Amino acid sequence: MGNDRSPKKKKGGTKDMDDLKKEVPITEHKMSVEEVCRKFQTDVVQGLTNAKAAEFLLRDGPNALTPPPTTPEWVKFCRQLFGGFSILLWTGAILCFLAYAIQAATEDEPAGDNLYLGIVLTAVVVITGCFSYFQEAKSSKIMESFKNMVPQQALVIREGEKVQINAEEVVAGDLIEVKGGDRIPADIRVTSAHGCKVDNSSLTGESEPQSRSPDCTHDNPLETRNIAFFSTNCVEGTARGIVICTGDRTVMGRIATLTSGLETGKTPIAVEIEHFIHIITGVAVFLGVTFFILAIILGYTWLEAVIFLIGIIVANVPEGLLATVTVCLTLTAKRMAKKNCLVKNLEAVETLGSTSTICSDKTGTLTQNRMTVAHMWFDNQIHEADTTEDQSGAAFDKSSVTWLSLSRVAALCNRAQFKAGQDSVAILKRDVAGDASESALLKCIELSCGSVRMMRDKNKKVAEIPFNSTNKYQLSIHETEDPNDNRYLLVMKGAPERILDRCSTIMLQGKEQPMDEEMKEAFQNAYMELGGLGERVLGFCHLLLPEDQYPKGFAFDTDDVNFQTDNLCFVGLMSMIDPPRAAVPDAVGKCRSAGIKVIMVTGDHPITAKAIAKGVGIISEGNETVEDIAARLNIPVSQVNPRDAKACVIHGSDLKDLSQDQMDDILRNHTEIVFARTSPQQKLIIVEGCQRLGAIVAVTGDGVNDSPALKKADIGVAMGISGSDVSKQAADMILLDDNFASIVTGVEEGRLIFDNLKKSIAYTLTSNIPEITPFLFFIIVNIPLPLGTITILCIDLGTDMVPAISLAYEAAESDIMKRQPRNPSRDKLVNERLISIAYGQIGMIQALGGFFAYFVILAENGFLPSQLVGIRLNWDDRSLNDLEDSYGQQWTYEQRKIVEFTCHTAFFVSIVVVQWADLIICKTRRNSVFQQGMRNKILIFGLFEETALAAFLSYCPGMDVALRMYPLKPTWWFCAFPYSFLIFVYDEARKLILRRNPGGEHTIDRWSTFAQAPHIFHLFLPPVIPSSAKHISRCPAPLKTKSALKQFSSQLPQRLKTAKAPLQLSTSTCPLSPHLL
Amino acid sequence: METILLIVSSLLVYMTAATNTDTEGATNTSENPFIYDYETLRIGGLAFAVVLFTLGILLILSRRCRCGINQKPRAPGDEEAQEENRIVSKAAAAAKETPPEN
Repeated sequence: MGNDRSPKKKKGGTKDMDDLKKEVPITEHKMSVEEVCRKFQTDVVQGLTNAKAAEFLLRDGPNALTPPPTTPEWVKFCRQLFGGFSILLWTGAILCFLAYAIQAATEDEPAGDNLYLGIVLTAVVVITGCFSYFQEAKSSKIMESFKNMVPQQALVIREGEKVQINAEEVVAGDLIEVKGGDRIPADIRVTSAHGCKVDNSSLTGESEPQSRSPDCTHDNPLETRNIAFFSTNCVEGTARGIVICTGDRTVMGRIATLTSGLETGKTPIAVEIEHFIHIITGVAVFLGVTFFILAIILGYTWLEAVIFLIGIIVANVPEGLLATVTVCLTLTAKRMAKKNCLVKNLEAVETLGSTSTICSDKTGTLTQNRMTVAHMWFDNQIHEADTTEDQSGAAFDKSSVTWLSLSRVAALCNRAQFKAGQDSVAILKRDVAGDASESALLKCIELSCGSVRMMRDKNKKVAEIPFNSTNKYQLSIHETEDPNDNRYLLVMKGAPERILDRCSTIMLQGKEQPMDEEMKEAFQNAYMELGGLGERVLGFCHLLLPEDQYPKGFAFDTDDVNFQTDNLCFVGLMSMIDPPRAAVPDAVGKCRSAGIKVIMVTGDHPITAKAIAKGVGIISEGNETVEDIAARLNIPVSQVNPRDAKACVIHGSDLKDLSQDQMDDILRNHTEIVFARTSPQQKLIIVEGCQRLGAIVAVTGDGVNDSPALKKADIGVAMGISGSDVSKQAADMILLDDNFASIVTGVEEGRLIFDNLKKSIAYTLTSNIPEITPFLFFIIVNIPLPLGTITILCIDLGTDMVPAISLAYEAAESDIMKRQPRNPSRDKLVNERLISIAYGQIGMIQALGGFFAYFVILAENGFLPSQLVGIRLNWDDRSLNDLEDSYGQQWTYEQRKIVEFTCHTAFFVSIVVVQWADLIICKTRRNSVFQQGMRNKILIFGLFEETALAAFLSYCPGMDVALRMYPLKPTWWFCAFPYSFLIFVYDEARKLILRRNPGGEHTIDRWSTFAQAPHIFHLFLPPVIPSSAKHISRCPAPLKTKSALKQFSSQLPQRLKTAKAPLQLSTSTCPLSPHLL
Repeated sequence: METILLIVSSLLVYMTAATNTDTEGATNTSENPFIYDYETLRIGGLAFAVVLFTLGILLILSRRCRCGINQKPRAPGDEEAQEENRIVSKAAAAAKETPPEN
């Protein structure tokens, strides 16, 4: 309550949170009405005076929830601009500017490359940042539309007068009146009630409306009858009460505050990207430092070496990857949005894919949140009713006469009716005025027997005793359908044991038979069985009143009962439950086969929870709880070894007493867990428990009570239609159609995008090596620079983009829903192995291809490779205009530069050519391309597009001026072809070895591990010790890989300081034929 | 479908190569072997790029029709076809980004 909690301050934040995590400290339910009145200085008849109300309003503030602190737009934008990957690019950009500054300070005419590169890097980050910012802004706009804008009204009594005021102005102490259909405006202590029922499902998870009365029935304020809670709904009846808490101090407000105060951790993909950045930075710094030392040894000056160092480090930054990853995630988010999964945060797209535990709420998530007739017992037989949403289930035998009587009783002894004007709406979707179980009966009868209203019209109601909690039955007397029959029909329904007490006969096959012990036992069994299913059971009986005693026109007195209410004829039982949604069992099954543990966490009662858990497969068939085993073996619960029970149902009150270790023990050792009667705070504790055990937890829920857990979870999934605003705010993902099965789609898409991102990254990283080696050789062996900054950017941000993105459209290699969820500590997005293949193996071959083209062109122009080594200083000397080649031809500076840039173009084209092969091998990580096929049209488009772009850049007139790219002779295109082919063959061979040596898969490639069902995997290769497995098939010997990686890897654009001035643009049309002098 | 496209494209490559060698041969025999006909090469190369690009676009558009005609049972096909269109625009956007950065 308000007085024991200081107003929210940043300082007291942690203490505040702990306080919020505790149970609700309401005590008013235990006080008498007078005490409550005294406490709030109010009057139970007159209400507050206006002056007092104004004073309290000033003291407590308006009765509204403080909206969760919204992050300002610019903060969101900055987060996009500086989060995750962007850091890497920003560092690169800053280093570039730094290098340029050094150059500018030390040289007369600094080369502009570092400056340009810095600008381009900045531009890439800003553009991608804007893109993802707008992407997220779009989904938050959809979120806005969810908000309920209708201002609430409340009926308060002040100074003895009823006034309708804005719910925000309600203060503690106000006397309030609520009626059916109203939303309760604050936490109130009920002082008087008439048949009042409230729907607490969004707060406690109970699917049945709870009756409210002035008496305290339970110590726990959440369970007691005399408190009604803020923002729950009054379903029927009227009640009066005194407001005890308003705004954030209400139970609901506390939960909302708790929710918005929770800190959430990083998304798994953010962790992966961080790991990736670490690896990349490691490689970059290693290469940079190595070559820095080499440069010093080779006699470069300090400053030169520093420029090299920066150049090499920057060259390692994959410029295009940020954009690629963002676009891939966006594409998946869109694909999911189309399947009705709205993702609020782009990074959450992948999270479902890594999820290893799903904690699901029951009411409204797994179930339909409406009572439905599930079973009937008549003719000494249990019949199953159709509970599916679309009435696709099996029908029962409706021909029995008993059924006709039962349906007549259920229809007549029922006060619920359809609201008007819904004839065109499907029966199950119609709105009903009345009690939940009566509406369930109404809908059931309307579905199976046709119009209930007609039936009621034919059997006019003469008298009625409504249900009350003392007699526990409801009774009504009707005329019969037959106008010639003057008898009256008495129908009664109520608690089965009460009904049975009043019956002396039972209807079997339409005939009345005396109720014998055997029938009574049959009744008891049926009652127990239905009750055990967690269903709410009602008994029905009727009697045709004898005409001689009750002639037509008999005045039935319902207050002072003047007619027979015993010796009735028992007709049957009907039982109701909030049935599971149709798609849920299948979805749960799929999650399970995908290795995801599904836990039910509900506020509802254990029996109902367990029944639904069994119904949807959360407790699978044949699995028993400790209690089940005890019951089967007929031994006390304490004697059962808890290890024998795979399933368990845990009550919220037990949970309270569990230590952390016991909790971990339960979560670890039981595969099928149901938590019942849990408070919102306990839901949070459960989620934290799972996370402590290293699981990546998804929480699904729709109520306010789920929202702290939704926020705390790695990914919170809220329901779009039935979900409360608070839960939607707290969630990362919203199922627009409320269909739990969409989660399976989410898992599938999440896993696929993780796999495909891996491929995209492998593809993008590979071209880093052919991009960086030219610079390294430029430094080390002093050859003319083989590949310039501009051409590198053309690859990273031009030709490589579409192919890399196209990998996001790759289909899965094996059934991704059959493998275990990835282990966040072991299965990384980018690991050393991926780097070693991309950098150490494929990248090296690519570099060879590029250098081959480079040497061919220079040789064709007269510079044989032997001549090139050590030529750099002369080559880049502007004043030297008669450099001789191997054949004695003399070259001016301009001519040399044209040849050099033609080489850049050829190197660029060669990289494109080898990237063809790289794209095809990156398509699959284990399967051969021939197995996988080339069905990804986007990928083929990517191949065409990158080639077309390369040709365009080379041949478009004006490119020699703009980007210094020159047309290539057709034959030069083919220089890299053999290398392209080599890459393809090499990798196919690698994958073949991989497939042939399944023992090593474990360490080599996780795909294969998961390609088979887990248990089969264990059957075939029980103890593969990772360390030994490593040697089985890292196909090219590990040694080789390692040394290759060490030797190279890094890249680097950056024009050396040696290119002293911006190059003169040449207009010569025949660049490659120096005039013989 | 794609095989046909691939064959066509490889033919085109061959043809461009052939025409270029032809012009090369012609100019080379009659004139200075150090002078190369860069104009023709440029036009040929550009034509090659344009053809390749159009082929790519056609390939993406063709996907849809193909699904409509002979891949009826594959429901996801339609979905994917639509997704592709999105990526075209994405690709275009990406392409738009590139030039200023170069």
